[in-house]
Amino acid sequence: MAARKPPLHKYWVILSTRTQEDMAYRANYVFGAIFRFLPLVTMIFLWYAVYAGRGMAPIHGMTFKDMIVYNILMYIARGFSSVPGTMSDISKDIKDGLLNRYLIKPMDYFGYQVMYRLAHKLVFWYIAFLTFPFVFWIMSVTGHYFTHWPTLWEWLSFIVSLVVAFCIGIQFCFVIGTLAFWFLEISTFLFVVMMLEFFMSGQLIPLNILPRALHQVLFLSPFGYEGYWPCMILMGKVPQDHLGPVLGRGFLWVGVFYGVVQVMWRAGLKRYSAVGG
Amino acid sequence: MIATVGKYIRLTALMMKNCLVREMQFKVNFLVRLLTEMMWLVMQFIYIGVMYGQTGQIAGWTLWEMVVLAGTNHVIAQLFEALFYDNCMRLIDQIRQGDLDFNLIKPINTQFLVSLRYTDYASIANSSIGIGVILFALGKLGIGVTPGGAVLFAALVANSILIYYSILFILSVWTFWIGRSNNLMELYWQFGQFSRYPGEIYPWLLRRLLQTLIPMLIVSNVPAGVLIHKLQGGLVIYGFTLGAVFLALAAWVWRAGLKHYRSASS
Repeated sequence: MAARKPPLHKYWVILSTRTQEDMAYRANYVFGAIFRFLPLVTMIFLWYAVYAGRGMAPIHGMTFKDMIVYNILMYIARGFSSVPGTMSDISKDIKDGLLNRYLIKPMDYFGYQVMYRLAHKLVFWYIAFLTFPFVFWIMSVTGHYFTHWPTLWEWLSFIVSLVVAFCIGIQFCFVIGTLAFWFLEISTFLFVVMMLEFFMSGQLIPLNILPRALHQVLFLSPFGYEGYWPCMILMGKVPQDHLGPVLGRGFLWVGVFYGVVQVMWRAGLKRYSAVGG
Repeated sequence: MIATVGKYIRLTALMMKNCLVREMQFKVNFLVRLLTEMMWLVMQFIYIGVMYGQTGQIAGWTLWEMVVLAGTNHVIAQLFEALFYDNCMRLIDQIRQGDLDFNLIKPINTQFLVSLRYTDYASIANSSIGIGVILFALGKLGIGVTPGGAVLFAALVANSILIYYSILFILSVWTFWIGRSNNLMELYWQFGQFSRYPGEIYPWLLRRLLQTLIPMLIVSNVPAGVLIHKLQGGLVIYGFTLGAVFLALAAWVWRAGLKHYRSASS
């Protein structure tokens, strides 16, 4: 009799097969990695023109160099929090009845999704690990962009905040994807959601330079953890005594999302129907 | 000659009518598309608004001049997507899966057929929002539009759409050689953002590049510049010439690519 595998072994198998699958299309990833930096070009020159127009005076405590560093760190933060395709894949599984083949397996559907997406992320992080040091090196040689060296606490908080970013990002996808139990056609709706996420995470504009009323609301929302907070933490823009409360609220959101996903999943499965095999 | 032109015009009208019928079967989808594009535009204006909240002018452009540019860019991008974008995406699949045969046997220019087969009406409706934005911003600037100016603007917009089309069409036709070019299509979205802002923000070399090989600045800055009288002489003629060159290039690449076409059954 074959030795019984430990209970979590199946998730390891998913992770490793999916990673290998991704590595098979390396050229795809190289293209993606290069194109990903193109928006940065326009962004740098546009912000430079804005700062030049005001005699290089800082905007809400952000200098021109801060602004550029913020936008580059955003790539790392979003590399953790954005899991493209998750929402639409889940809604498709539900809508087309493909969920059947997962339901009959002795594994958790969301556990499977987490492993599947984590595999994509591993490949991305691997590529990022190779390219980002080069970007940072270019930046510090050409313009001494990094004016702040993070303290130990900031480094640790940054790493924790990236974990929070991933947890919130993927669970938000679960919530939206699971809506497919109740609504038949949600693909255009997904586009709206992703656009709002793009804005509310601080990817478009740092949240602190938005009008006061707006940024105070967005500071409390979970979306800031998908981009804004990790960047600001590493840049030293979050005072040390705020690090705890900021991360604490992040964990609270992770818990809230976990609860919402579980409730929606159970309620949704009661409505779920699929015809044929 | 006239009979041929008439045939192509009739065919275009028929294809567009066919698409309108299809589109009207999904009215809710149509409305949602309008709404999402509007939100995208609003987000761009928030971005512009935040920037102009910090300074009175960006690279010599005032707020409302920038809005004219954003509106012009919106009109061009939407009309391009209405007429050509879906068709280029379909072309990639047709080449890869060998489905081009059905188009090749029809007694009509194949490039014309595959480029204009489907029209996306939601995008046409969306482009009108851009026109509204332009008119509003021109009002704020106190600039009137003469009939001649309007005609020139319309001609430049059409020219820009054709430049966009030529670039994307060439990228699609690459599929004949490399078998799969979905990733290259991503370039359209990445290039697109260079056209959203004034050319003056870019350093000399990059600016020249964006006016020649990848003419993203010609596409948006020239039509908008005509409206707000902010243009160096000669760029209009240059823009039209560039349009003709790119269109000719697209036709040439298409014919060269067809020789590499392998049908489905092989």
